Amino acid sequence: GGGAALRLCSTRVAQGGINKPVIDRIIRVDHAGEYGANRIYAGQMAVLGRSSVGPVIQQMWNQEKVHLKKFNELMVAYRVRPTVLLPFWNVAGFVLGAGSALLGKKGAMACTVAVEESISEHYNNQIRTLLEEDPEKYKELLQVIKQFRDEEQEHHDIGLEHDAEATPAYSVLKTAIQLGCRAAIFLSERI
Amino acid sequence: VKCQHCPPVRALQASATLRRAPDEHKKEPLTSSSQQHFDSPPAGHQPEQEPRGTHHSYTGQGGQESEDYESEEQLQHRILTAALEFVPEHGWTAEAIAEGAKTLGLSVAAAGMFHSDGSELILHFVSECNTKLSKLLEKEQKLVQLGEAEKKPIDEFLRDAVEARLRMLIPYIEKWPQALSVLLLPRNIPSSLSLLTSMIDDIWHYAGDQSTDFNWYTRRAVLTGIYNTTELVMMQDSSPGFEDTWRFLGNRVADAMTMSNTASQVQSTGEAVVQGLMGAAVTVSNAETSRAMR
Repeated sequence: GGGAALRLCSTRVAQGGINKPVIDRIIRVDHAGEYGANRIYAGQMAVLGRSSVGPVIQQMWNQEKVHLKKFNELMVAYRVRPTVLLPFWNVAGFVLGAGSALLGKKGAMACTVAVEESISEHYNNQIRTLLEEDPEKYKELLQVIKQFRDEEQEHHDIGLEHDAEATPAYSVLKTAIQLGCRAAIFLSERI
Repeated sequence: VKCQHCPPVRALQASATLRRAPDEHKKEPLTSSSQQHFDSPPAGHQPEQEPRGTHHSYTGQGGQESEDYESEEQLQHRILTAALEFVPEHGWTAEAIAEGAKTLGLSVAAAGMFHSDGSELILHFVSECNTKLSKLLEKEQKLVQLGEAEKKPIDEFLRDAVEARLRMLIPYIEKWPQALSVLLLPRNIPSSLSLLTSMIDDIWHYAGDQSTDFNWYTRRAVLTGIYNTTELVMMQDSSPGFEDTWRFLGNRVADAMTMSNTASQVQSTGEAVVQGLMGAAVTVSNAETSRAMR
């Protein structure tokens, strides 16, 4: 006797038997990441838009816009909810971008290097997870993430090419930013 | 000990125990021999050995469930569905569940599987209603996609969806206030909240919501408010055909539309003002510069 736990049928249609909780997290955090990256570059452009690195930053920003658009589409397709923290990432991203740009062109590049390194590592983890789950079922998603990871890696290299490492207190700045990224990833996956 | 009245194959231990409590004491001598029976035979043989084998543990036979066996969950669903018929008379209680179990040929002790406050019965009902609503909205969407129906404007869509869902309460409306209070018990809140949020999300999904920013939350919060308040109004409504409720619903949806229009108007006005100010500042600074240059 006693109340055995009754599993209630969900109103959501399982899309071809995908692992919804895992995909949910992946898309939500990636969407938040691209949204944040957009805001970081916007902040950097606000300060350094008319400097010599302006075109470089603009080009990287344009690629991030494409990334964000793709994740917007995936979010609707998989019916994933966005993170509640979006308004917060909106402001925090812009402040980080503008703040790092106020340290000069090298500072902005250092910020780019730190963030893109975090994002690349994070995408690699997701690729590993999806490959462990079912490479065939998640082929399209894997393709998207792999392509974006390659492009983020390019941004990372561009940052290094533009003397990111010559920034004063480079390692301190980089560690601090990466810690922030890790916290942002942790939170966006869950809330 | 052979059983002369073999239960239908679909019974499993729970219902079997309910049917043959007197045989309980004969369980022990048979367990070991029946376990041996089940180690090797293929699934097809199980139904024939069922009369002796009903005393095996639920997870015996390596935890296999052949297609002929109903899982405990399915059995519970069947009992609860059958019990709904008796809710208008008995309320959301163990009596209704017992009556439901009786109609399926099970013992009234089957109600012992569930909580005495009828939590599972109510949650089951809500879940079934949500599923029905989903199917209805999906069907409507298909008609629109095939061009056989017009796409409704958002306010009409939301109004119709909420009305369709609330109409499912009408046969149980007398006892629904009791159900609402049970759904608010701390023990039930995770489940009832999850059912509510997925229902609201479904409605917005079929309404064509594609927001990926904070609007996602705003829209769902607003619709949840509309749904809950309309549900409460419905409890108090004694007008013919609940017309007061539907009028209330229409007004709330209209309010929400106005609010969102107002919000976007405020935003565009704000942006226009900022641009105006920037333009004025640039003009003044240009004027200063040209005067300084003279």
